[in-house]
Amino acid sequence: MLIEIIDVMISGLLNGSVYALMAIGLALVYGVTKAFNFAYGSLYTMGGYFAWVFLVPLNLPGGYYTVFLTAIPFLFVVGFFLEKFLVAPLRKRSDWEMKAMMLTLGLALFLDIGYIAIFGPRLKSLPDIVEGTLAIGPLVFMKQDLVIFVLSITGLLCFAWLLNNTRVGMAVQAVAQNPAGAQIVGIPKERVFAATFAISTIMVGIGGILLSQKNFVNPQASTGIMIKAWVITAFGGMGSIKGSLYAALIIGMLEAFVGYYLGMIHIDIAVLTVLLITLAFRPQGLMGRE
Amino acid sequence: MMLSIENLNAYYGQAHVLKDVSINVNKGEVVVMLGPNGHGKSTLLKSLCGMVDKKQGKISYKDQDIIKLSSEKIVNMGITYIAENRELFPYMSVMENLKLGAYSKNARKYEKENLEKVFSLFPRLAQRKKQFASTMSGGEAKMLAIARGLMSNADFLAIDEPSLGLQPNLRTEVARIIKEINNQGKTILVVEQNIPQITDLADKLYVLEEGHITFEGNKDDALSNDHLKEIFLGM
Repeated sequence: MLIEIIDVMISGLLNGSVYALMAIGLALVYGVTKAFNFAYGSLYTMGGYFAWVFLVPLNLPGGYYTVFLTAIPFLFVVGFFLEKFLVAPLRKRSDWEMKAMMLTLGLALFLDIGYIAIFGPRLKSLPDIVEGTLAIGPLVFMKQDLVIFVLSITGLLCFAWLLNNTRVGMAVQAVAQNPAGAQIVGIPKERVFAATFAISTIMVGIGGILLSQKNFVNPQASTGIMIKAWVITAFGGMGSIKGSLYAALIIGMLEAFVGYYLGMIHIDIAVLTVLLITLAFRPQGLMGRE
Repeated sequence: MMLSIENLNAYYGQAHVLKDVSINVNKGEVVVMLGPNGHGKSTLLKSLCGMVDKKQGKISYKDQDIIKLSSEKIVNMGITYIAENRELFPYMSVMENLKLGAYSKNARKYEKENLEKVFSLFPRLAQRKKQFASTMSGGEAKMLAIARGLMSNADFLAIDEPSLGLQPNLRTEVARIIKEINNQGKTILVVEQNIPQITDLADKLYVLEEGHITFEGNKDDALSNDHLKEIFLGM
């Protein structure tokens, strides 16, 4: 009984850590630009296909090492140019946040249909990052899960370090807290917007690589991921990075417990219930600022 | 001439806010711009600092036309804007706000030196390095805004209503600090309502009404002008 609960908690923690990586990227973009990126889920799928192309048809040497080393710059470039050529031109218009949402929604549909056109509608499976299990006392872990956990925590720590200890990170926080103030001190806002978008693309794309090993690469995965990331950011407090971290862990746990004790089909209902309760009773979320 | 603005026109959407505004500021001067609220004083400072998109005319600073430059380039050339509503980073400490003040390339080299200067000018900030900007009182936040501006290593400070919302004793303090900064060699263009402590500092006064410059001169000229005396100097 106790072992069972610990098992479920660990699985919740694993999912929660990857969710945190992804949701924090979404919260970051929202916090900085105040525009919601609806194409976020489709960039998750992009990460999965990127890994598949490298590992299966190309079968490049180095396996996942090569994938991660190339995926990070690739995702950065994709995010940077999407921002620069699609989103940034909207900023000169009135009501640009709304227009940015419409645009990213269109982009999401375009990418999702594009994946089917290029790769076909069937799921692709990725090789495990490592195989085998590891037993600690009565607990048995998949080594794959441990690697996913370690990598997403590493990603989160890198992100936290970047945000709090580098000039770019401080500039990002400055724009999020007060865009006018950022302009006054001479921070190039446009470049910060593009960098933020690029960093968030890395975060969700890496999340896509990590989770697609367990859940297959699915051309229609974006909706589910988008809903999850959106619930987590809203629950944590739109734009709040700490809030998203806690919310991701809570949602990860909730999913694990609901899935185990009530059945998988109840997971989405539970998650959306959290969203509705949050919006009804605490619309600013766990740590959002009103 | 350090700054010379010629026939500047600026717009907010459809509104034509500044109409053929021309002003000159010499190195080392304190120039005070008076005028009623909503007649374009802030727009003038923001246009100077690259924060108004729609504008025509000529803004020359140290013999370069800067009207088309972005705000980050202008900050880097040594002009800093100190906003009336301060525009601090609320969830950052005093220290982080100050360090971000030195964001521009030119300011970075002098960060340490300027920190020392700023702390000797504002000893209270030195005691509160770790305090969040959002938890400071109005007067302290004002000081922090000025201090952050100084961190940019600017030669030219464009200060927007420094005494807004402050009690009379703090206005005197702000005026003293502006004078001290000026004595350290900074050139200052300050926009104000009628605040005697500030107007007393002026080497030159301008009045901006409905987007036009309606007066230029020193304080004695202003006092001999009945219209100004009544409306702006309250005498």
